[in-house]
Formats: sequence, C-alpha cells, structure tokens
Amino acid sequence: MTGVPVVPLQESLLPEAMDISFKILPALLVVGMLGLFLAIGFVFRVADTEDMWVAGRSIGNLENGMAIGANWMSAASYLGMAASIALAGFYGLVYVVGWTTGYFILLIFMAAQLRRFGKYTAPDFVGDRFNSDSARAIAAVTTFLIGFVYAIGQAKGMALVGLYIFGDYGGLIPGLDGYQVMVVAMMIITVAYLTLSGMMGATKNQAVQYVILILAFVVGLLVVGYTNGYSTVLPQLEYGMLIDDLGSEFSEPFATSSYYLWVATTFSLIVGTCGLPHVLVRFYTVESERTARWSTVWGLFFICILYWSAPAFAAFGTDLYTQNVNPTYGDPGMTGAASEVIVVLAAQLSNLPQWFVGLIAAGGIAAAIATIAGLFIAGSSAISHDIYTNIINEDATQRQQIFVGRLSIVALGVLTTLAALDPASSIAALVGYAFALAGSVLFPMFFLGMWWENANRPGALAGMTTGLVGWSIPMINEIVPNYVSSLEAPLSAGLAQWMPAIGSALITLPIVFAVTIIVSLMTDEPPMETKRVVRQCHSPEPMRQQQTAEDVVTDGGETPADD
Amino acid sequence: MPDNNTHDSADNRTATDGGVAGQAGQAHRNTDYLGSEVNLLNPSTPFMRDHLRIVWTGFAIWILAVWGPVTATYLATDAMTTQMPVLGFPLHYFLVAFGAPTSALILSFWYSRKRDALDEKYGIDHATAGGTSRGGEAAAADGGERSDESRASSEQRSDGGVDE
Repeated sequence: MTGVPVVPLQESLLPEAMDISFKILPALLVVGMLGLFLAIGFVFRVADTEDMWVAGRSIGNLENGMAIGANWMSAASYLGMAASIALAGFYGLVYVVGWTTGYFILLIFMAAQLRRFGKYTAPDFVGDRFNSDSARAIAAVTTFLIGFVYAIGQAKGMALVGLYIFGDYGGLIPGLDGYQVMVVAMMIITVAYLTLSGMMGATKNQAVQYVILILAFVVGLLVVGYTNGYSTVLPQLEYGMLIDDLGSEFSEPFATSSYYLWVATTFSLIVGTCGLPHVLVRFYTVESERTARWSTVWGLFFICILYWSAPAFAAFGTDLYTQNVNPTYGDPGMTGAASEVIVVLAAQLSNLPQWFVGLIAAGGIAAAIATIAGLFIAGSSAISHDIYTNIINEDATQRQQIFVGRLSIVALGVLTTLAALDPASSIAALVGYAFALAGSVLFPMFFLGMWWENANRPGALAGMTTGLVGWSIPMINEIVPNYVSSLEAPLSAGLAQWMPAIGSALITLPIVFAVTIIVSLMTDEPPMETKRVVRQCHSPEPMRQQQTAEDVVTDGGETPADD
Repeated sequence: MPDNNTHDSADNRTATDGGVAGQAGQAHRNTDYLGSEVNLLNPSTPFMRDHLRIVWTGFAIWILAVWGPVTATYLATDAMTTQMPVLGFPLHYFLVAFGAPTSALILSFWYSRKRDALDEKYGIDHATAGGTSRGGEAAAADGGERSDESRASSEQRSDGGVDE
C-alpha cells in the first residue's frame, strides 16, 4: 500500500503517551453502560425468528435512522477515522467521503426497493432473486466473511480504549500482553450480550448506543476545543484556522498517497456501503418503503454529525500531541497505536477530568459493540437462516434455528478474537477490506438484480465467483504475508499499487458487472415469475407491512412466514 | 387514455376522480406494473420515467460533489490549496472534508422530498398503505391469475373516471 500508514507488526500494541491504568469512575461508567445494554437486550429478548432477524418489521423513521447510525458508526468511525486523518493527512479524508456519500446511492437505487423485496437477510435476496441455493450459499459465506474481517477492527478499537479504562493485565492469560488480554475480555462481553438478545434487542439498543456515542464524541470535541482555546461553539468549522499550523503533512494533497489510490479507496468504500449486509438488512426492518427512504436521510444526518467532527478531533489531537509529547510528523513521529486512540488522547492531554476522558473512551466501546452486533447478527443469520434452514435442514424448528444462530455468533466471536490478537493493519484499513469485499461481491448482485430483470442464475454465480477471486488477489498479496513469518508484504509492489487491497473494488466491480451481464445474455432469461418480483420491487403501489414482493406476485396474500 | 374524449353525454358526470390525482394518477391506475419491464436505461412506465429523471439528476450532481473537488485538486493543485477567507481552511480540504458529506445529505433530503411529491402526483398514499388498498382486495381474490386480478382491482378503484 503506497504510503498508507500500516501499524508496524507489534513489538507492543500499547499506545505511548496514553495513561494506562485502572480508573474507577470510567470503569463504573463502562460497566454501567454494558449493564444497560444487557438490560435492554433482556427486556426485548426474543424467542422467534421473525423478531430475531427483522424486529417484526416495526421500526419507524427516527429509530431506524439512529439504528442505521449506530450500526454504521463503528470503532473505525469513532477512533480509526481521526487516526487516519492525523497520520495520513488528506488521504485520511477518503473515509469521511466514502462512508457518508455512499448513502445517497443506497437511497436512490436500493433502499425502497429492498423494503419492497422484504425478506430476512441479504443472502435471501441473492438466493431468491437468482433462484439458486448455490448463489445463496456464496452470499452467505461472503456475509460471514465480511462480519469477520470487519469485526477485527472493532475488537482492536475496543481493546485499545479498554486499556485506558481498565489498565494493563499483560500476563493474566499466559502468553498474552495487556492489549491481547483486553481483546479477549471485550469480545467475551460482546458475544454474551449478543447471544442473549437478537435483532430486536439490538435495534432497541442501537438507538441508545447512538445517543451515547454521539454525545460522547461531540461533547468531547466541544470541551477539548474550548479548553485549549481552539474553538468555541462550532469546532467542526473552526478547526480550519488551525490547519496551517499543523504542518503540511496534515493537509497537503497526495503527499502520502496518489490521486489514483484516493479515488480507488473512496470508490471501494462507497460501493461497499451499498453492499454491506448489516446495512442492507436495516431496510427490511422498517414499516414501509417511505420509512425506508426517510430513515436513510435521518441515518445519514446522524452519521454526518460524527463525520463533520472527526477531522476536527484529528486536528486538535495532532496539535496537542505535538505540543505535549513529540512532533507528530517526522522521526520518530506518532506511532500507529497512539494515533488509533487520538480521540481519547486529545481529551487526556487537555487535562480533562478522568471520568470525562472515560466517557469518551466508553463512547468508543459503544460504537464498536453496536457495529459488532449488526455484523454478527447478519453473519449468524446467514449461517442459520440461509445455509442451515434453507439448504441443510428445511424442516428446522425455530429452536434449532436460533440455536444455530447463537452458535455461529460464538464462532464469529472466537475467530475475530484470534485474528484481532495480532491485527495486520490500522482499524480503518481493516474495516476497509470488508467494504472492498461487499462492493465486489454483494453490491453488483443487488444492483443488477434489482435494476436489470434479465440478470439470471448463471450470471450471478459467475459474477460472485469473479468478485470473490478478485477481492482475494490483493488480500493475498498484501495482508496474508503479515501472518506468515517467512513472507514480506506485499508480494508484488506493482499489483499493490494498481489494485490496492483497500480499494480493490474499483477494479473488480466493473469486471463483475461485465461478467454477470455477459453470462446472463448468453444463457436463458430468468423465469417470468422472477421478473415479476423485480417489477413489483419498483412498482409505486403501496404494500402491506408484512408483505414481500414475492407474496404479491405469487398469491397476493400473506404467505405464512417461511419458518 | 382515449376513452375520455366523449364530452357530450350528461352521464359523464363522474369523469373527475375526486380531484385526487389528475392525469398522472389515472396513468398510474391504468398501468400494469407487473407487466412492464424494469429497465434502468429505458423506463417503461410513466412513473418510472419521472422517477428516473430525479434519480439521474441527483446522481449527476453527486458525481460532481464527490469526485469534482479531488480531481480539481489533482489538476490545479495550487489554485485548490489556497486558503479560504474567514474559515481558514485550504479550499480542497474544506470541499472534501465538509462539502462532500454535506452535499450527500442535502441531495438525500432533496431526493426524498421529490419522491414524496411524485407519490402525490400519482395519487399514491403510503399513510393508508396498510391492509386496505391493494393487499386486501388481492387477498380476497384468492390467488387467481395475477394480471386479471390487478386489472380488476385497478378498475375497482378507478371506477367513475373511465367509461369503457
């Protein structure tokens, strides 16, 4: 990856300059917050699948908007984005652009149509639209893989802020350092909470989590800006005055990356936004297609509040770090680990009270947990609903389905924990890989499936396979070698330059589109029944709350839910 | 709709549809959406045509807002990196960090408003989208041939306007 700062493989992942020790008030704050999440999860605990996957299709505008926001804003937004902006300068802004503007594409091309299609999971769409269990299985595996890759970044973020709050317990588990012990502890808590509740609990929780994380972030920014004399009431605009003093590294365009890399990464993040299963599934949970549209607008607004603020936090943090610790740029410069917690560091270096810094740290944990919830629910429903119930055991009882669902949440938790013990990249970059995958495999299927009624089964199978292979090539080139001691990453510098792992969808997406279209044209058209489902997704005729496009097309009534 | 051109008869009093929707609404009721191809590049129904006009307009502005500033910065680096008055940002930084997300938000709001207006123009009411309008009738029709059914239901609701 040309010039993108990658966290050096760990001597230690402990961030310098951060005060790592047990702190009673912040610890109580986090414990109280987690207790609240569990209580909400318990109150809204679920026993049937309809509630578990789509919350009874009862969620309204504002609530779904907040859930979209909380679901969306992960440790990568809360911590990783400010980190990238501080270290990579102008290139770091790809995350600000990529993770907001994609929602408009999602809105105009997909949100309402998805609601009308109205199934349970993202692989459901692929399987039913292309009449293929193989396509369903590929989509389900992709969904599981996205959850896994994405969650590694979240686990890393939680562990880093956990260090500030709970201190260094290196050696508590033999062979693991303080950061790694914290990864294990945080993931156990997350998985425990998730297996107890389900989507219903998760949706209710996500609205609460949004409020906690946005307050922590924005109030944190206001206080840091005010106490240091950077800003008064609108730090999101006032940090502009500071940029000139931060050094050219902070704002100079294309200093740490090429124009090509900037465009590739942004593109990949945008199409990834439109293909992420845990984002797409939010549109199945709303009451009507109009709600699907307006909750997207609300969601984007809630997201923008944080994304307007993150660059300001990065600017303040960079300046505080330079004044109090070391120059941020040059040699030695700020390390990756320190940059990842720059939001917490900025508050700590401003000499704010411990409980307040703890509040900001707790916000990071809330962000990570909310997103892991969405990801793991999507991943586990892919396994339980799409693979187990639809392919392996069609007569599965609800008890069995929920059992398999919980089992796969635990499996995802274990895999994520193992991979997060020694992460290969920064939080934002790790999450970026998941976006490249979603943009390469799922987005083309949703877009073509929704907007081109002649896209068919062979086309989808060929397209998705191409997408998976296309995504794997730069991952093997750049990321896998980090986990193999005898190899040096990247294997091919030229490939890394033109098909970077974090921006690979710029190359793979057009190829997948072409493959899907060509194969579809060369093979038989899909059955009329399928075409009518697509048409029903675009019809402006209102539908009932529990109705799916397929219901309307086949029998006009409400089929008993396929359980 | 060629049917409405007989104005001489007195029993054409029902020709209005209660002021709900006008021509677009009638076009909507006479459209068999399940029989019309979905084609992004060549919309087949009046509603889809109107909708896609909004979609493409928004998409074009979106492309400019997202890719414009960074491309301009690449082509004319000096001009784009000048400091802005008052705010103090380098211009390119502001347009990317603040301009792009804000444009997407404004565009989303604009699109949803436009789409609601479109629903109104075509006489589509989501507030009563519940069991009353289409779904109920369809369910009552008990799984008959779908195209007949939808035609039947659209006739039911548009009775009075069109004398066939």
